[in-house]
Amino acid sequence: MEVTAAHKKSRFVDAHFPTRLPYNFPCKNGRSDMAACAKGLHRCTFSLRLLRDPRLQNERFVSTSLCRPAPGHNGEEPPKFSPPAKPVIIDKTQTVASLRKFLSPEFVPPRQRTDPFKFAIERKDMIRRRKVLHIPEFYVGSILAVTMADPNASGKINRFVGICIQRGGKGLGATFVLRNIIDNQGVEICYEMYSPRIQKIDVLKLEKRLDDNLVYLRDALSEYSTVDPEMKPVPFSPTGEVTVNKIRVRMRPKPWSKRWERPKFNIQGIRFDLALTPEQTEHAQKWAHPWLEYDMLREYDTSNLEERILREVQQEMSK
Amino acid sequence: MAAWSCRLLLQRGTRVISLRAAAESPSHLVGCVRSVNTTTWFDEHLTEENQEYMRRSVAQEYRRQTADSLNPLKDEPWRRHEWTQGSRRVGLVAVKLGMAPIWTKTGERHVATMLQVQDCHVVKHLSKEEFDGHTAALLVGGKNVSPFHHLNSLLTIFSLFRHSDRQKSEEQMEMFRNAGVPPKQKLTTFKVSDNALIKPGTPLFAAHFRPGQYVDVTAKSIGKGFQGVMKRYGFKGQPATHGQTKTHRRPGASGPGGDPAKVFKGKKMPGRMGNVFVTAYGLKIWRVNTKCNVLYVNGSVPGHKNCVLKIRDTILPTRSSTLLSLPFPTYFTEEEGDLDEDLYDDNLFIHTDPSLTLT
Repeated sequence: MEVTAAHKKSRFVDAHFPTRLPYNFPCKNGRSDMAACAKGLHRCTFSLRLLRDPRLQNERFVSTSLCRPAPGHNGEEPPKFSPPAKPVIIDKTQTVASLRKFLSPEFVPPRQRTDPFKFAIERKDMIRRRKVLHIPEFYVGSILAVTMADPNASGKINRFVGICIQRGGKGLGATFVLRNIIDNQGVEICYEMYSPRIQKIDVLKLEKRLDDNLVYLRDALSEYSTVDPEMKPVPFSPTGEVTVNKIRVRMRPKPWSKRWERPKFNIQGIRFDLALTPEQTEHAQKWAHPWLEYDMLREYDTSNLEERILREVQQEMSK
Repeated sequence: MAAWSCRLLLQRGTRVISLRAAAESPSHLVGCVRSVNTTTWFDEHLTEENQEYMRRSVAQEYRRQTADSLNPLKDEPWRRHEWTQGSRRVGLVAVKLGMAPIWTKTGERHVATMLQVQDCHVVKHLSKEEFDGHTAALLVGGKNVSPFHHLNSLLTIFSLFRHSDRQKSEEQMEMFRNAGVPPKQKLTTFKVSDNALIKPGTPLFAAHFRPGQYVDVTAKSIGKGFQGVMKRYGFKGQPATHGQTKTHRRPGASGPGGDPAKVFKGKKMPGRMGNVFVTAYGLKIWRVNTKCNVLYVNGSVPGHKNCVLKIRDTILPTRSSTLLSLPFPTYFTEEEGDLDEDLYDDNLFIHTDPSLTLT
């Protein structure tokens, strides 16, 4: 009885239901004859669940109300037609404007003898470009996807996903470097933020790391630099603090491209205890400059400047 | 302050008299000239209030003078002529602000230098006879500066002697006064054809140059001091190892040998490098900001940031095109006042446009 019913249902479903279901559908029993019916049963229950999914309900599909008993059976009024609940579509591709007070570091002018007027003109150009291309808030350690126009790529569009290891430059020439490992090969691409060839910048995962500069990932194990190119954006709230990823990275055996253990790099994000002996860590401290933190001429307090520039930028952007 | 200025004038007066008497033998001047060589600034001994007052009054005075020269009704301007083949027009004096990247519509990235035209006025007109007998000249002044600012001593036909260049010379101050213009930091001469003469006192603006045009920029290069032969002339030096005894950056041989038995004049040797006038030719203008008077010029330009430079139309024959209708003799605000705030070259990518899609 069950078998025939199952067969009937499966035929019925197959005729009307166009979605393709996977061939290697998991079965509990390994025996072929029982397996066939069991497969069919699994399929029709799965398809029934799919049918009930409001997104797939269409006039082409079979309505699930056919399975219910016919109305007027007991002499009651037919149940009032209540339309199904509207599907709530959460479009995760749209970016929400950040409500954090964030000023991109390339707006802060360096300590130079240049006329501040030059920085003001450059800022106007940067704001003009930002009104056309949305440059989101991101930090070193976030995962970004950049689509750029490329004359040599097929379809003239080139999309690269990677972790941001470095942000450099001030003004219109500001750059950021994305790193990823593709086909066992480490690839780093340096993008200019205000280049007109950039079509889109997406932040797939917004987070900070323990350091401002993650160039040491070149000497770390490849698992720390690999980012899935098909990664889905991780939702983050536009308010509140940005999460700090306190991961400490394991390194490949020495020699490294730079002597990261030396205090001038001031790196917090490497597991030095696994990579160096205590004698080596002590030896690295010989290059320490403990007087630098007391050097008053090196102090450059940009807080007032940053506030002023942030207000100006927010005003201009909202126009 | 009054006593001080009297003392200065007296000293200046005495110097002028004594030097005019012995103009042909400068060696005698070393003894009799008592020049003011103290390192001080004009408001060192003033009270705070007086310093503020001086600054405000000088600024007001300059603004009044500049506004006056903008007003065409005060004095009649000179007649304007049409452009003909072979006529040369004036140039400008500008200040180097810094550099920024620019992108073309095909996605190529170039660098441009930003030059701001600050308070550029025509200061004096020298006719053909006065100047050199062949062409007329126009003296153009650059940045406004206080009368106590030291000047590069302008070795024109006026000053045949070198006196202390700590203060502006009296001749130059007279020139500025006659033109009705505040004292300028830099004064340059532009050789100009007769149909491009401009009345002294007219202000010059950045819109005098248009995007797509080529210019030459002259400025004093950054001084490097006494430099060796490798940095100064690019000599290769000697190897670092393989037995070289105390010889790694030396010039090596100094000439042929026994036949001339001498070192030729002009032999490249270590010496002072930089701080000389250098011209960069054929620089394209990508963009002109008429509101802030800023020119975006292709590539790099000699001189440090905030240095004063001289800009003029190219003398290169392949880059001087007659297609662009350049304002002749110069750009006047009251006539062609309605220019856009930013003038761009055709190939330049403007930041308000959508991103490039290369096809």
